[in-house]
Amino acid sequence: MFSLKDAVYNLVAGSAELIPEYVAFARTIDDLGLHTFETYTAAREQVISDQAESMLELSTPVVRLWDGIIAVPPVGTLDSARAQLVMEKMLDALVSTEAEHAVIDITGVPTVDTEVAQHLLKTVVAARLMGAECIITGIRPQIAHTIVSLGIEFRRRADQADAGGRAGARAEPQRA
Amino acid sequence: MEHVPILKIGSTLLVSIQIDLQDQSVQQLQEDLAEQIVASGATGVIIDITAVEIVDSFIGRMLSTIGSMSRLFDAETVLVGMRPAVAITLVELGLSLDGIRTALNTEKGLRLLGGRF
Repeated sequence: MFSLKDAVYNLVAGSAELIPEYVAFARTIDDLGLHTFETYTAAREQVISDQAESMLELSTPVVRLWDGIIAVPPVGTLDSARAQLVMEKMLDALVSTEAEHAVIDITGVPTVDTEVAQHLLKTVVAARLMGAECIITGIRPQIAHTIVSLGIEFRRRADQADAGGRAGARAEPQRA
Repeated sequence: MEHVPILKIGSTLLVSIQIDLQDQSVQQLQEDLAEQIVASGATGVIIDITAVEIVDSFIGRMLSTIGSMSRLFDAETVLVGMRPAVAITLVELGLSLDGIRTALNTEKGLRLLGGRF
């Protein structure tokens, strides 16, 4: 599109009185170019934000494991926003499934910092307030080390090494 | 000011909060409940907050107070039907309501109190 300017310039190069028209013409072309570029960028931004959103949705599933037990296995790095989302989705699921036990499995979470650990703790307390019991499972050795060296204490919480065992065992008498 | 009704089911008192809680009505509820527990000799109290959408630190603290107060009268308090948003708010406020038991809905709350009703 911009090469049109050269072609037109060659045509008007001889006559001096056409220069103002040429300048106006060049400005129009520039505006068109700018508009095209802006539209392109906006479309790209939209695609990127849509993808980020769907990734956020995909990476925080809530699964119904058993009658009265739900599991939340977040995958990937947990930041503050995602930890919040995990909390909200889990609490909503507790209401909709009427589950009394929730398992947060953080096997798929590579690192846990103070903020995230705090969020996990809040989630556990919020679940208790709603009348459900929350168990954190799949804490890796490195994460355990981080948590301890950060001085965070998970008080009176049964944290299990693997997701299956105790959660099922606890709900057993209830199902019977 | 609106009064919160207190229903008696067997030896359990059921308080279903259906109004927007004002500081004064919560205080009134606390007094009413104390009188009712003494008058009826109830051994369990269920507070249903399914309809409550907004709580503040004062109401959170009053719920906790109701729990410890009922315990003095040998009645156990179960808080039922808390909404996720309310739970998140209370946690952010740093209130974990340690002395109070919780259940997902009234039915489970009654079951929690066992044969007391």
